[in-house]
This record gives sequence, structure tokens and C-alpha cells, in this order.
Amino acid sequence: MQTVTLKPIKEIKISVEAENISPDKFAGKTEKDIQSLEAWMGNQKTTLGELFSVKAEGSGAAADTKIVMDGNFSRIKRIGEGMTAGLIIIKGNVDMHLGAKMSGGKISVTGNVDSWAGREMKGGELIIEGNAGYYLGAGYRGETCGMRGGKITVLGNALDFLGEHMCGGEIIVKGNAGILPGLSNNGGKIVIEGNTSRPGSEMSKGTIIINGLVDEMMPVFKAEGTEAVDGVTYRKYTGDVIVNGKGVLYLK
Amino acid sequence: MELLIKNGSVYDPSNGIKGDKTDISIKDGKIVEKVSSNASVIDAGGRLVMPGGVDAHSHIAGAKVNMGRIMRPEDTRAGIKPRTKITRPCTGYTVPNVYAMGYRYAQMGYTTVFEAAQAIMKARHTHEELEEIPIIDKGALTLFGSNWPTMDFVREKNMDKLAAYVAWGLLASRGFGIKCVNPGGGEMWGFGKNVTGLDDVVPNFDVTPKDIIVSLMKVNEMLGLPHSVHLHCNNLGKPGNYKTTLASMELAKQVKPSKDRQVLHVTHVTFNCWGGTNWGDFESKADEIANYLNNSENITTDMGQLIFGSATTMTADGPVQYANAKLLHAKWANGDVELEDASGVVPIFYAKQVSIHAIMWAMGLELALLTKDPYKVLLTTDHPNGGPFVNYPEVIALLMSNKKRQEEIKTLHEAVHKRTKIPGIERELDFNDIAIMTRAGHAKVLGLLDTKGHLGVGADADIAIYDIKPDQIDPSVEHAKIKSAFQSAAYTIKGGEVVVKDGQITATPMGRTYWVDASVPDEHTEIMMKDIRMKFKNYYSINLANYMVQDEYLTHPKVVRAGVIPAEVS
Ligand SMILES: [Zn+2]
Repeated sequence: MQTVTLKPIKEIKISVEAENISPDKFAGKTEKDIQSLEAWMGNQKTTLGELFSVKAEGSGAAADTKIVMDGNFSRIKRIGEGMTAGLIIIKGNVDMHLGAKMSGGKISVTGNVDSWAGREMKGGELIIEGNAGYYLGAGYRGETCGMRGGKITVLGNALDFLGEHMCGGEIIVKGNAGILPGLSNNGGKIVIEGNTSRPGSEMSKGTIIINGLVDEMMPVFKAEGTEAVDGVTYRKYTGDVIVNGKGVLYLK
Repeated sequence: MELLIKNGSVYDPSNGIKGDKTDISIKDGKIVEKVSSNASVIDAGGRLVMPGGVDAHSHIAGAKVNMGRIMRPEDTRAGIKPRTKITRPCTGYTVPNVYAMGYRYAQMGYTTVFEAAQAIMKARHTHEELEEIPIIDKGALTLFGSNWPTMDFVREKNMDKLAAYVAWGLLASRGFGIKCVNPGGGEMWGFGKNVTGLDDVVPNFDVTPKDIIVSLMKVNEMLGLPHSVHLHCNNLGKPGNYKTTLASMELAKQVKPSKDRQVLHVTHVTFNCWGGTNWGDFESKADEIANYLNNSENITTDMGQLIFGSATTMTADGPVQYANAKLLHAKWANGDVELEDASGVVPIFYAKQVSIHAIMWAMGLELALLTKDPYKVLLTTDHPNGGPFVNYPEVIALLMSNKKRQEEIKTLHEAVHKRTKIPGIERELDFNDIAIMTRAGHAKVLGLLDTKGHLGVGADADIAIYDIKPDQIDPSVEHAKIKSAFQSAAYTIKGGEVVVKDGQITATPMGRTYWVDASVPDEHTEIMMKDIRMKFKNYYSINLANYMVQDEYLTHPKVVRAGVIPAEVS
């Protein structure tokens, strides 16, 4: 078992590309090795040691590596990008692309995460106790598949376009979601406990369940009567009919 | 500047050299008889030496290519490489940026590449990009197959006017030859329709695709253009289209070549040797095309080999792209080039377990392996339609090794066994065949064999050295070594300058842009221009004065003279 603790040693105002913060990159490395891992701050090359105090205890493979991040990481991007195993615990806020393309392991955040968290995620778990920004679990510009597997849970709210181009996996938002959740999605499951607007537009596959209010519906769904899901009765819709979609939308 | 390449195992098909240990002398960018003792020396140490690669059909510049970049930001991210001291940043895989186009071709030992389709109206864009592609020599074929003036003059049966229009169109676009894409179809797509065969009549013009193809072949030979008509057949993308392809090839019999080359080049046969009547009984008829090629003269083709993975289809064939986008539920860009043509761009992912894709993969290989004469089938992927050009080494390895093909076949959809002949084809090409299919053949088809695609005295000093000792390797078994050697040239020499060493770019000189200045009698141009001025006045959205590509667009031009009037050599 290896535990690595990172704390900011100065106020970071310029965004940092920190894809090297990942159990896969830290596994089996000494404190010194980790301190010397590269990061870009704006257009300047720097190291993790220049930005954070690094404390490493024990040693282990990625699956046995735990990273604890304590402090304000609101300008630190791409934490846990592509990670395959292990655990990242973040006590604070983080910038964009948290857990992008991750395929295994778990990230949990006590604060808020900026846009594109879990984008093109393939597996593993992402737990966000605060709020999420735009494009949670979506595909980045041009991608035809966003999230493909794994699970994202947001205890707070999420902004617009969550699960855009989603092809698999599961997103649960306990609070409200912005407009167009599940836009163009092609698989997977989205559950929104709170309110949202215009869900499932252009969806061709996948399931969206909304327990709160839907402010506005796109006129592209076919009403299919009612259906019970886990003992709760919903109005069922299928669509988007314009793209011959087989997606399913459950509304209260 | 003198350079001597010693101890190379040289393959130079058009000079009959097959692996002989020959020295090559270079002076002032040309291959010469001998050099002085001051010449710098590269010791090839028995390694494979070939003329620099030539590609007669690729999509490297212009409006369609750039549309691909715009609609595929995810592709841009797929090939990012930061700048170095001498190279600029690279991006993209199927639609690389302009710098990557030049570097990646040069790294494979290629030194000359032709863009296969530019509309005259979009030619400025093409040349703006060509001007930024480093290292390689290049040129662009100009679209004539659905242009209103072409169809008018074909209907009038006025070959003098048509020849004058082609000559003027090549000047206006600084183009190298006649490209003809789904003739008539580009016009009908303006009305949401397509032609379905060679004898359909194009509404409002009263001409057929057959009339257009034959007339363009006639004026091509009247003008004595270096290249022949370059045809993308009608019905592309439809099962059963091999019949249209064969019927189009049959038209070549009506015209005599004016030079020692084909009268018709039928391109990317992977997309038009399709049997069956629908996607259910879809099958390869590449063997029928190969059989026809084996029994005919004056026709050449290229493979348009499919590469599994990401590709971006882009063509002036607008209607086929609409069909593709519908079929694939994919992103779709549609373009209308006013009086000239249509176009479309659609991304695609070729998967090994999709029966259609597995069958298409077999088609290009069948064509190349069943056609006896390698000069008749050029190695291309119709970049980026069948796949990106960086995969040529994969295709070379497949052609040279049946073992590799059989290994690949095991991973493919079972349809490859029932709907293609590839599993039973044992032929393995040798280095001489590959040198033809990647250099000499392309240069011959383009009509540039005087200076390109060979290593005789007087040729441009464009040379590739690969890290293979031909007498010490069995390509059939060591196909992985073949692939990696062709991916990364030991040396690429362009115009006598070392531009790549050990796969790394070492210099980035600017290549030249080839175009054809064809002369016709002034009175023919005058009569033709009356019609053209009328078209601009009544229909075009831009002025004639803003239409022509000016000399400023070509900072390194290489003019090839042709024409009805014997031109004086300049
Ligand atoms: Zn093409």
C-alpha cells in the first residue's frame, strides 16, 4: 500500500496541466520521483514538487496507491486522467477534466469540479460531493462517444450538457441539472433527482430518468404510456424520433 | 553541392535495376554520371535504395481537406507533436495539418504527392495550403466532370471549345490534369439526385456521363497533357458498381493515347469493384477488374486500400456522401461549388468485424495481387478515404507477405472467406514490384517519368534509403521489419538535400508545385471565353477577375508545357 499526500505550497492562479497526478504515475515512486514529475503551468514547464508538498508513504502498484489531495486545487486540470486503478481523494475544489478517460479506480471530491469531469470515461467511479460544471461525462469537441462505462455520482448540481454523446455507464445527479442532459446520447443511463430542461434531445439509445420537474420538453418524443421502474411509476417516452432513436425517457 | 550514395542495393524499375550494387552521383539537385572527389558520401552499406516515393492520388490540400479538419477536432488531437528547432507543430491523423503532411510523407521516403481533386473555384485555397506543405513536390488535379461549360461543350460536340476550356481551367486553377468525379452526378446532386449509370441523361444539359468521359479523354489527348483523364467512376459506393467501372474502362478503347501512358486512370478501385445487389449479398469483384486490366492496354488504376481504424471520407461525389452519412449516422459536411461540382465529407471507422469493411479490405489487395503488371495498379489508400497515407508501409508489408495476410484474415469478419478471393491468393510482391507501385508507376501514370520515379541520369535527386538489406531479408517472414523500415526512412534525399535521417526531419526545403500550361489556338479561346464571360455574368457569385489563381500563389512553380500547338520548350 502506498499513500501520497499533496498540498499546495503556494496560491496557484494560472491553470496547471496535471495529468501526471494519477495512481498509475505515482505507483512505486519515491517522494523525489513524484516531486520531479512534469506539469505545465500556462506555457511554463514546472514540476509537481514546485507546486505541491509531496509526502509519500509505503510502496505499491497502481491498484494499491492512494493519493490524498488537501487544499485548493481549483486551477489544477486533468487530475487522474486515464487512470486504470487506485484511489484519489480530493478535499477541495478542482479544475476541468477530472478523471477524463479513466478506465478504473475511484476518485472522490469533497468540493466542486469544473467542466468535462469524467469525459470519455471508460470505467471506474467518480464521486463529486459538491457541484459539477458543464459537460459532465461528455465527449470532448468532435468525439462521437462520451462516457462509455463506469459511474459518476454528483451530490450537488450539474450544469448543462451532462452526458453529451454518452455511449455507456451511469451518471446520477442528486440535485438539479442544466439544459440538454443526454444530448445526442447513444447508450448508458442518466438519473436526475432534481429539475432539468430539454432532456434527451437527439438521443439514439440509452435511458434517462428524471425525478424532478422538466421545465421544457423537446417535441421529438413519442409518448408510450406509463411504466414502473424500481416500484416508481413514470410516464415513458421514446425517441428522439427525428433520428429514429430508441432512447427511453422516464418522467414523473 | 555534390553527393555520392555508395553501396546501395538499388531498385530502379524504369532503368531495369533490380537490387544491383550501384553508386548514385548527385550534383545540383539532379542525378549525374559522376561527381568529383569533393562530393560528400553516404555509405548505404548494402541497404535498399529507391527513387523517392511518388503519390498520384491523395487528398492533402484544399477546401475538402480543411472541412475535414474543421469538423473533426477529435482527429486533430489524435496526432499532436510539438515543434522542434526545425519543424513546426504537427496535428491530426486522418486530416493532418499542412506541416505534418510534408513531414510524414518525407519520413516514409516520399518526395512527390498530388492532390487528386480541386474545383477551379476553390483552387486558391488548395494552393494556399500547398504553399505551406514543406519538403515535397506537389500538384493538384482539377475537376472538370460536372462543370457547366464542360457539359455545354460536350453537348455541342465542340472539342476545340472543350480543349480551350480545359487549358483555361488548368491555368485558372494552376492545375496539373483532368479529374472527373462521378461525371454528371455533381450537377444532379444540386437537385438532390444522382446519375445511376453511364447512359443517364443529365437534365438541363442533355449529356450522359459516357459523353463527358469520352469527350474529356479526347481533349486530354488533343492537348497532349502529361497525365491522362483521372476518373472516379459513377455509382461509387453502391453494391454492383463493378459493372459501371468495367463499362467506363471499356470507353478507353475509343481514344488513342498521345503519349507512352494510359488514356484513362480509374482511381480508388476499392470503392468501385463492388458486387452484389445490396449490403446483404455484398461481395468483392476486384478479380473481375483485375482480369479486365490483364487483358487491356491503356488503363491504369490505384488501390484506395482500406486501413482498419479511423478514416475521413472526402470527395467531390456529393450524393454518395449524403448516402454515407445517412447509413452511418455520422457527421456530414456538404458542399456546393456553384457551376462546377458538389462535395461531401463524412468520418468513418473501419472495423475488422464489420463484414462490409472486411470485404473492402480484401478488395484493394486482390486487385494488386491478381493484376499481373504492377504498373497498372498503384499503391494508394485514397488518403484519407480508405485510411491515412502513413499506413502505406502496412500495405507494402501485406503485399509482400502472404503470412501477414493470413494472420490478418484470422482477425476479420468471416465474410472475408466467402465474399472475397484473398484467402487463396499466395502471390507475394518483391521489391521491384513495390518500387513500381509506389514510385515508377505513379511517375509514369502522371507523365513525369522523365524526372521523377527513377534514378537515371537527368532525374531529380529524390531518393529514399531504407534500413533493409534486400539480400538478407525474407519479407514473407520478416514482414514487421519491412513495415517499420518503410515507416521511417534511413535517408530521404529531396533535390539532392538530405531531408530525413533515421526517420527524423533534418531539413525543410520548400518543394515545387507542378502545373500544366497548355496552349490552344487563340481563336478557340476567344469563342470559349464568350461563353465563360456569360456564365460569370449570369450565374457565378464571384467575378471572373477574382477567379483566376495568380502567380503570387505559387512561389515555387514548375510549369509543364503542353498544348494543341507544339509549344516551344522554355
Ligand atoms: Zn480521392
